Amino acid sequence: MRRVAAALATAVVACACSPVAPYQRGYLARPDMAMEPVDAGTAKALERTYSAKEAARGGASIGGGGCGCN
Amino acid sequence: MRSALVLAICLAASLSPPASAVGPGSQLPGITAPRLADPAHRVDFAALHGDVVYVDFWASWCVPCRQSMPQLDQLYRRYQARGFRVVGVNKDVATADALRFLTRVDVSFPLVADGDDSVAKAFDVQAMPSGYLVDRNGVVRYVHRGFSADTAVELRTEIESLLGSGA
Repeated sequence: MRRVAAALATAVVACACSPVAPYQRGYLARPDMAMEPVDAGTAKALERTYSAKEAARGGASIGGGGCGCN
Repeated sequence: MRSALVLAICLAASLSPPASAVGPGSQLPGITAPRLADPAHRVDFAALHGDVVYVDFWASWCVPCRQSMPQLDQLYRRYQARGFRVVGVNKDVATADALRFLTRVDVSFPLVADGDDSVAKAFDVQAMPSGYLVDRNGVVRYVHRGFSADTAVELRTEIESLLGSGA
């Protein structure tokens, strides 16, 4: 019974999947769909404010060895 | 077993392309679309029969369209007197984006909006930009997906061939 329910749930989720048509990619091109939804200068200012408030820098991106030397 | 069948049907239904894809040999869909700058007036695709028509799907976010639109305008101006028409179908989410694009890349051929995707769905557009060259009998003869300098050369040859043959 549990397996049937799981399969049906997967089927429902799969039915909900729909590829974005090439002509609908304008939605993905909207500025608020960007990974960083503000310009580079504002992003840097926000990160600096965050660092000051949290008393910690770094860790906002992948990379670094965790040496604590930044 | 039954649930696996349901899953397979759902996946097939969600991934299979529509049956109404327009390609070489298809008839130009008989649809209408509102003009981009004047939505009160509509362009009737059926009324284009008798001319060689290029239906171009474009958008301000489509990088190759910055190259294709001026080239299409040149072809339109060159062959308009011989019965060549271009209809640009805009696929921007906001009309303002399209109008801003047109302040930089102005074109003289008619442009229509497609906010409800009805025109794009009727053609089953597979790439941006996409262009459909239609002969005087309303039959799609060539489909161009994407745009490069080679496309412009091919298109010119195809247009001359269709204008010259009387087909």
